[in-house]
Amino acid sequence: MAAVELRGVRKAFGRTAVIHGIDLEIRDNEFMVFVGPSGCGKSTLLRLIAGLEDADGGDILIGGAEVNDVPPAGRGIAMVFQSYALYPHMSVYENMAFGLTLARTARHTVEDRVRAAARTLRIEDLLHRKPRELSGGQRQRVAIGRAIVREPRVFLFDEPLSNLDAALRVAMRIEIAELRRQIGATMVYVTHDQVEAMTLADRIAVLNAGRLEQVGTPMDLYHHPANTFVAGFLGSPRMNLLAATVTDVNGAAVTAALPGGGRVRIPVIADGVSAGDGVTLGVRPQHTVPAGDADAVLPGTVFVVERLGAETFCHVRLADGQAVVTQAAGDVRVAAGDPLAVGIAADTAHLFTGDGRALPRHRRHPLAEPPAPVTPAAAAPPPSR
Amino acid sequence: MKRLLFALLLAAIVFYTVFPFYWAIVSSLKSGSALFIVEAWPADPTLANYAAVFRGQPFGRSILNSLLVASGVVGVSLALAVTASYALGRVAFRGRSLLLLSILSVSMFPQVAVLSGLFELVRALGLYNSLWGLGLTYMIFTLPFTVWVLTTFMRELPRELEEAAIVDGATPWVIVTRIFLPLLGPALAATGLLAFITAWNEFLFALTFTLTDDRRTVPVAIALMSGASAFELPWGQVMAASVVVTVPLIALVLVFQRRIVSGLTAGAVKG
Repeated sequence: MAAVELRGVRKAFGRTAVIHGIDLEIRDNEFMVFVGPSGCGKSTLLRLIAGLEDADGGDILIGGAEVNDVPPAGRGIAMVFQSYALYPHMSVYENMAFGLTLARTARHTVEDRVRAAARTLRIEDLLHRKPRELSGGQRQRVAIGRAIVREPRVFLFDEPLSNLDAALRVAMRIEIAELRRQIGATMVYVTHDQVEAMTLADRIAVLNAGRLEQVGTPMDLYHHPANTFVAGFLGSPRMNLLAATVTDVNGAAVTAALPGGGRVRIPVIADGVSAGDGVTLGVRPQHTVPAGDADAVLPGTVFVVERLGAETFCHVRLADGQAVVTQAAGDVRVAAGDPLAVGIAADTAHLFTGDGRALPRHRRHPLAEPPAPVTPAAAAPPPSR
Repeated sequence: MKRLLFALLLAAIVFYTVFPFYWAIVSSLKSGSALFIVEAWPADPTLANYAAVFRGQPFGRSILNSLLVASGVVGVSLALAVTASYALGRVAFRGRSLLLLSILSVSMFPQVAVLSGLFELVRALGLYNSLWGLGLTYMIFTLPFTVWVLTTFMRELPRELEEAAIVDGATPWVIVTRIFLPLLGPALAATGLLAFITAWNEFLFALTFTLTDDRRTVPVAIALMSGASAFELPWGQVMAASVVVTVPLIALVLVFQRRIVSGLTAGAVKG
């Protein structure tokens, strides 16, 4: 159990810089998820914490001590790899015991720890098997077990579920969440799957092109994305981002002219924008409302209807050519070609400056309070707002 | 039709490869002028040639010499090649491909080209007419290809396996010996076998660097067999000797063939 701190960490492969000076604090006992598109540097960042890569600049601290020059085995970390990386010629037991044996741990301690981990992961019956005799999910459990027996201060997961099929992935996701409650350690988890990120994380760090875009609780990122990248990356289908123009600014709200002639007053802090500026309006498909209840409407024509059963996604083309996705009920009567006015509610709409920065809202979403410390012992009273 | 052609082709290849060995066996069982009669199986098979091989010269000693030299060469070549291939396949350093290419180019010289130089070397080291000298010189052609083959295999082992071991606290030596070596089993068997066969069959160096009968290896011993007069070549005995030294090789290949084809890495990573 230890906090991990990154201070101005930089990394380049040859001449290509992949991590551009990242500052991040991962708290003790926290479940931190690194998420981002492929090539954003999230795996590299994890490998820097593990010590499998050397940083070109900056400091990495684990448990308050600088570990820049400490080899991976000395950092008190354990890593679960995407491909599991089980030693194929060793039995499950030997796989899990290998690290402890190398560290010259007493034989009975090794045995106790391996058995305990196997019990936690329900792989006791598999201890004598070879990895090739296991299913994908079982291999994944063994890989996690190998990490647990080392009793690391920090667990590192590198896309551990991406080799599993969809159903197994959901099951393992829930198991990881359960496991996490049982063993309580700092965990850093890399994924490109936003569902994994949203469901597992205490806090999510969104990375893009080697930079941190935003760090916060899942609900914080969902309801208060700091910029258009985070807004578009989290949430499915992605948030609608429409070009709009500021017509009026006052202390309480910013008014924007929408495509199609409507206007909407959005309760955000102007933060430097003034009338006439081009801005981006962000509306999640789930946050569109019937035209009758809306603060503003976007008139257009439905061009694709996607029915998923429980809900329906209507793709609407506005008069100026921009496309908008709106989520409707599963049994809504709509067909391609129908005219449809997409309603916007001002209190769920987002406004971004021309360079993609979000204008802060006056009122924070109740679920998006600043992240509370995880351990009850270290819990502070929730900040009042 | 296609299958018939395939079967015919297969039969032709089998005939082409097996016939010389079959002929050697048949000839070794004949004696005297029966050698010059063409027949599928000798009318009067005899083991006299086999007995004569071991009686006429220290052939048992030759076999032992060959065995010692070949296994020694295999052992040392593999040990050196495994460590070298870890460095060449896994550690990035400047000049790595240059080094690999020069290792390869060493094996391109014809034996005759390096013979006189090696002779001086062997003499200077005081290894003339000794099995050590043979072992040392054989590595000139076994090492390049064992290093190359093992480097290729080493590169194909999953990177994450090594990284998992590093996180587990394994030193490079532990990674090589306890993680990679078991996984390289099939590759070791294949390259070791090839190295063994090359060393076992080597003739030129063995002829040049040995002098006395008790230091000869099998190929030289066979070539230097002589009959009753200088003008007579004891074909029967030569064939018998050839069969005697070929059988161990065939046995080795049969023993190791399963190891060679088995994919031991199955289960290491996804799949």
